[in-house]
Amino acid sequence: MNHMNLMLIINLFNKLKKYLLSKSKKKFFNFVALVILISLSLKFFNWIFFNLNWRVVTSNLNLYAFGSFPSNEQWRPTLWFASLFSITLATIYGPKWNWLRKNLFFGWIGTVPLGIYLLKGGFGLAPVMSRNWGGLTLTIFITSSSIFFSLPIGIILALCRRSSLFLIQKLSSFYIDVMRAVPLIAVLFFGQLLIPLFLPFGVEIDRVWRAILAFTLFVSAYIAEDIRGGLQSIPKNQIEAANSLGLNTFQINLFILIPQSLRIALPALTNQLIGLFQNTSLMSILGLMELLGVSRSILANPEFIGQYIEVYIWLASVYWILCTIMAFVSKKLEQTMTTNKGY
Amino acid sequence: MNRNQKIVFQIVLVLILFGLGAIFVNNLIINLIRTGIGFKFNWLIKPASFSLAEPPLPYSPSDSYAWALLMGWINSLKVIFSSLLLATFIGTLIGFLRVGKNSIFSMISAAYITVIRQTPLLIQLMCWYFVGFLSIKNNLFFNIRNIFNISNKGIEILGLHLSSEFSALLFGLSVFSSAFIAEVIRGGIKSVPIGQWEAYRSLGISEKQGFVKIIIPQALPAFVPGLTSQYLNLAKNSTLAIAVGYSDIYAINDTIINQTGRAVECFIILLFSFLILNLLITKIMGIINKSIMRSRI
Repeated sequence: MNHMNLMLIINLFNKLKKYLLSKSKKKFFNFVALVILISLSLKFFNWIFFNLNWRVVTSNLNLYAFGSFPSNEQWRPTLWFASLFSITLATIYGPKWNWLRKNLFFGWIGTVPLGIYLLKGGFGLAPVMSRNWGGLTLTIFITSSSIFFSLPIGIILALCRRSSLFLIQKLSSFYIDVMRAVPLIAVLFFGQLLIPLFLPFGVEIDRVWRAILAFTLFVSAYIAEDIRGGLQSIPKNQIEAANSLGLNTFQINLFILIPQSLRIALPALTNQLIGLFQNTSLMSILGLMELLGVSRSILANPEFIGQYIEVYIWLASVYWILCTIMAFVSKKLEQTMTTNKGY
Repeated sequence: MNRNQKIVFQIVLVLILFGLGAIFVNNLIINLIRTGIGFKFNWLIKPASFSLAEPPLPYSPSDSYAWALLMGWINSLKVIFSSLLLATFIGTLIGFLRVGKNSIFSMISAAYITVIRQTPLLIQLMCWYFVGFLSIKNNLFFNIRNIFNISNKGIEILGLHLSSEFSALLFGLSVFSSAFIAEVIRGGIKSVPIGQWEAYRSLGISEKQGFVKIIIPQALPAFVPGLTSQYLNLAKNSTLAIAVGYSDIYAINDTIINQTGRAVECFIILLFSFLILNLLITKIMGIINKSIMRSRI
């Protein structure tokens, strides 16, 4: 009996030892990994800040921001940036007044016409040709106008795809599926080279607007699918309830289905927006002077030749910061849009 | 709307669409005649008279345009399928580390995912090509007894030579897609109910075995749709090859357009190429999905 007890205690002791050792081993490895990680990142930052020559960025900040926008008119894109920035701040940190919350959405929509007016000029401002637009201004302009046009088109396509009318449903399905099968660069290429062929002789759309048109055609198909997902997740009894209240199909769509599906699809729509923002860089292949296009022309300058690392790190961080801000704003919007907190 | 109204409405809508289409096509025909290009496909059998950096099959500039397009097709398939495999491997690894218990690795993979996802693919590709491969000095970066070496001419493994363009595209696409695949993997594993984890732990099955034999088989069906869409994205993203000078289907179409000016025909070819490719990937993933579903009870 005594012997058995002893065995049990020894066994227990062994198990405990094994357990403790394995735990400390794990901790030790974690510690070593952490030390290696920290020393590596210190080395990396040291290299970034002291070994690289950042003059290629600092002396060209103006070009990165505005491209070849006339220098005495550069307050206009700056003003536009400021308005975008302030509405972002209002969305994230603004007071929770009801009227502000309700009108924020229209404020966001209003930034696009404001941008067009400020960049293009006219009505009291000196007109600036679109070939002088460039840099971050052009990137953000293409992104915001494309999303501005493709959101309503995407909503219509999504509703059409769920429509009970056979031909309409088939046509919109066909459009969405084909657009989603084609690579973006082919659509952009279509926009730059083929759209002029489809226009009557003498009619011309300039390059920036052709790019926006191509992006709109492409993104609206993706947005349609995201919104369709939102529409599908709305319970059927909502429609029945609306029907029993005597709303017609148009009213049901406008007041019941679309707002709810937009709210549900918001994370997916944000991903589309971030994707679109990143993909505007493809226009540099087709010769627009947006952020990457400007950088390529700076890299071709003999003074800065071969300084790829600095420029790419700089560009990547600009894109990263802006994308992160977008994701953050969308998270905030999602929280504020969840209106029915109490039942 | 009653039935007749519906039919009339649809017919009117289709007529309007056809009318618009007819106007556009009419403009197109007028423009093609005006510029003297016309619309025909017989140029496909004429000699291409441009050279390719790395044709997968014997090719010379005197071969026809159709043959050059086929080379582009094979090049595209080559890079798509190899980066598909590599991306799945890296993505699965990162995804597992992300859901794993080790907080340091989880943190590293989270950082990896956010950095890769929030920067444009084009910049990453250019970074791989111009910074990664072309800036290697002394022509040699890494060498293990001639079995595996990396230089500014590309990668060589056991006599298999991968050009620097192909390697840059391969790594760029794989790394970019792997971040998205990691999220798919994470979502799939999270979709397995927590009760399953508790159940195998309470049965005394080891962590490793439980993960491989209990959790993964249940997460597989959740992987497939996400992976399919990521693979389709990867195939579409492979057209960015033109930025690093790899001659894939899009780059060859671009060259042909620059040479012959036949933008409309080339665009149609490109469109059909990608519709076929999409169909191919969707079909293969459908078969995989079916086999996974069948292997479950």
